Amino acid sequence: MEMLATVIGVVIKSVIFIVGMFLAAAYLTLIERKFAGHVQQRPGPLHVGYHGLLQPIADALKVLTKEDLVPNNVDKVLFYLASLMAFVPAIMILAVVPFGDPFTIFGIEIKPFITDLNIGLILALAFGSISIYGVIFAGWASNSKYPMIGGLRKAAVLIGYEVALGFAMVGPIMMAGSFSLREIVQAQEGFFGAFIWYQPIAFIVILFAILAETGRTPFDVQEAEAELVSGYNTEYSGMKFGLFPLAEWYIGTFVLSAIAVILFFGGWKGPHIFGVLSPFIWFFLKVFMMFMFFLWVHWTLPRYRVDQITEIAWKVMLPLSLLNIFITAIIIIVKG
Amino acid sequence: MELSVVAFWVLSAIAVISAIGVVFFKNIVYSVLSLISTLIAISGLFFNLGAELIGALQILIYAVAIVVFYVLVISTVPQYKGEAVDPKYALLSAPFGFILFLELAYVSVYGLWASNTGIFSPDIFKEISNAKAVATLLFTKYLFPFEVASLILLVAMIGAILLGKKDIVEDEKEGGA
Repeated sequence: MEMLATVIGVVIKSVIFIVGMFLAAAYLTLIERKFAGHVQQRPGPLHVGYHGLLQPIADALKVLTKEDLVPNNVDKVLFYLASLMAFVPAIMILAVVPFGDPFTIFGIEIKPFITDLNIGLILALAFGSISIYGVIFAGWASNSKYPMIGGLRKAAVLIGYEVALGFAMVGPIMMAGSFSLREIVQAQEGFFGAFIWYQPIAFIVILFAILAETGRTPFDVQEAEAELVSGYNTEYSGMKFGLFPLAEWYIGTFVLSAIAVILFFGGWKGPHIFGVLSPFIWFFLKVFMMFMFFLWVHWTLPRYRVDQITEIAWKVMLPLSLLNIFITAIIIIVKG
Repeated sequence: MELSVVAFWVLSAIAVISAIGVVFFKNIVYSVLSLISTLIAISGLFFNLGAELIGALQILIYAVAIVVFYVLVISTVPQYKGEAVDPKYALLSAPFGFILFLELAYVSVYGLWASNTGIFSPDIFKEISNAKAVATLLFTKYLFPFEVASLILLVAMIGAILLGKKDIVEDEKEGGA
């Protein structure tokens, strides 16, 4: 019976995480649209609800009730599968992201994470990189030129930055001495204990890598609406179309921001000024700041060319992250 | 029934069925898709055995880093070429396949025997993590093979760069002539 209880507990927790992420992602779209509007000196959504507060619900209804058009010449199985393959791995990263230390409420111990594997970070990297197939297969299955080019571009970008991202994460891992995201947070004590002060190079590489992985603007060559119509999702419509930006721009950016906060900003640590809930509030505040930073970059900068992107990945970011490992190793040996 | 037993049967069924798919799918993109499915199911088997480091690396390295290059190449092959069948290769591959099978069978049986010896018992794995056990072995007992492997990779990388560079030089010569 104990086994059944564990299974039910994990399932309930997963459902809470997934539903919460869906709702959060819906409202992240509103935040993005408002933010983009103000960057471009226009008000953004205004008419549905107070200052557009109900806009995400209207959008969801619109996307769900639209005609689900499947072109004749697509590979139907892969066409359907690809939108799920982009979406599911992005949400699976949540399985290893901890949102705080275990706490007791009404006599029940609640752990605000699904699993605490001691290799959490590698698993997050692995799930994050599986979503690459969604994009490539979407491009291939569409059987059309623009999606194909978009898919291949995205693959080229992801291969380069996945490597840099992996090596850049080694710095904080070496300082904490563990792959577990919880132990990495526990290794950062106090304001000046946060790894951002010791690993600035790694942080810069990871910022670039997150922008590239989630396809946000300086790196959004896979969509490049001026040249590729809409890139790999040109042939998609309805909810299948909706899943791609939801997975990449919102869930992907949010989850990777959470990992960056855990690696560099001490996760849920902060002064206990909000009472019991202060770890959660600190964590979401930090993640929200990271997310807003990515939005800011997205809506301000122009787009790189695809050759510039891969060149930055292999010639700048990869050597920088290797150099960071080297320096970190020397400092750890010297300091003991 | 134990949860791990259920997981074992489900994951091995997925792995075997998709491995058959790799061989028998006519469309090579579908073959690659079932290869990915096989590799992920096998990583699930590693997790089931408690070897979570190998499981995660299996996804990260095999299912993504290596197969993505197959996908990149295969997705640019025209479909009629991908579905072409050459019986000559089928005949050639049979003896090699049999030799490979013998080797895999030997390694599995040997592994079954060797896993009961050595200092790493399940209790030790509970105390220190998988990552620590693998790292300790790599940097003590197997340091020399480890370094040789990295040297081979370096040679392969330099070779790839040279192969890639040669074409450009020839193109320039042809262009100038």
